[in-house]
Amino acid sequence: MAEVSEQQAELADSVAKLQLALKRRYGEAARVENVSIATLGASNRTLLFDLVEPVGQRRLVLRQETVKSEVSPFISPHDQFEILNVVYRHCVPVPEPIFELELEDDLDVGYVMACVEGETLPKTLLNAPEFAVARQRFAAQTGEIFAKLHAIDPREVAFLEKVVDSVDPLAAQISRYDAYCEYHPGLDVGIRWLENNRPKEKPRVFVHGDYRNGNVILSPDGIEAVLDWECAHIGSAMEDFGWVCLRAWRFGNINQPVGGFGPRDEFYQAYTSNGGQAIDEDEIRWWEIFGSLRWAVLNMMQADGHIRGVRRSLPFACCGRNTSMIEYDMLMTIDGQFS
Amino acid sequence: MSQDKPDIKEILVTVKQLLESIANRSKGGERYDALCGAFLIGVVDRELECDRHQDERQRRELQVLLGRKGSISDLYLQFCQQVRHGELDDQWPAAFDFALQQVIDKVSVTKPDYLTAVHRSD
Repeated sequence: MAEVSEQQAELADSVAKLQLALKRRYGEAARVENVSIATLGASNRTLLFDLVEPVGQRRLVLRQETVKSEVSPFISPHDQFEILNVVYRHCVPVPEPIFELELEDDLDVGYVMACVEGETLPKTLLNAPEFAVARQRFAAQTGEIFAKLHAIDPREVAFLEKVVDSVDPLAAQISRYDAYCEYHPGLDVGIRWLENNRPKEKPRVFVHGDYRNGNVILSPDGIEAVLDWECAHIGSAMEDFGWVCLRAWRFGNINQPVGGFGPRDEFYQAYTSNGGQAIDEDEIRWWEIFGSLRWAVLNMMQADGHIRGVRRSLPFACCGRNTSMIEYDMLMTIDGQFS
Repeated sequence: MSQDKPDIKEILVTVKQLLESIANRSKGGERYDALCGAFLIGVVDRELECDRHQDERQRRELQVLLGRKGSISDLYLQFCQQVRHGELDDQWPAAFDFALQQVIDKVSVTKPDYLTAVHRSD
């Protein structure tokens, strides 16, 4: 009960500060209405609200950082906001970036963007009848979006070169895994396999890094917006392909590799026919195995946050035990039994 | 020490049923928390029931593979370090098989129906 009151007090405080932040930017008449909290994400707190002005009102989203750790795998909200500006300019479907929080807002670090209507819950997207058309379109639309994203000149997001995942993504994951001082024989066997089978260097492109079922807003007509840019970096285009096809993101629809929605051939075809580079299926398989390592380490991070009391929650407690299933996917994929 | 009824199994089933009923009449975060709680109670139940000889079997296999004795946690550490540094590359099939079986043992507790039929013990 005390915890709930604490959360309510924290929310009231945030709303009051947000109101002031909006008045500073849009004038004294601006006010906040209709506030709701979206589910707490892995790295961000998301608050939905209406900005009400004399000229009209619009639904906006406040994103604030929640993970602060030396081994955090997420780029700063400042860099995320910069990325939103870049991809919005290139007509990648994303929420319009509105403004970045400043020190005098006293709302920690984060930014405000437009609210895009639609659904993100993976199970709903995979099963609800109203998303039948969107499901059919997902693989091809993702191919088109990847082609557009990977065509952006990496120099426009040169600040991402400093991200450890841009330098050596495998070394970055190993470093994060080691930080938790846990010993998982399955993960180390996977790491050794990844080291022994590293793909050849390819042209480096701007990759989303976390494009998957759950991080994309869909309407019944298809993809409306790509969210969650906190893992963006510079790397191989095939990395994005491997991640969206990870078994975990199929949510049980294992025979539909592209996020549980559709087949690989439509996805690859849409990418190459929209100017994307040649598909390397062996490399995509490497990135899927790498993706299992990465997802396992992210689950260890969530469990660690729970165990140390930083962010106690039942879902985060489950994450620690979920790691075994991810290791199973990884080894079965290496063994050629899963695809 | 013998305890009065209900036994642990019955207590866990009771709490799990409560959490599932909360999940059935809840929405959003509360429903998700209740489902996670029920899942974790299931994990506890299976962990209490699981093969108590599992650690001993893994310890024996690791002693053969690594050629040294130690506790299961010491041997895990040794295995992970040696695999990482390529020191078990010449025994790769045995190292891989050990790691896969160790993972299967863990998934058998966490979510047994996640395993393919060939790896299920039921």
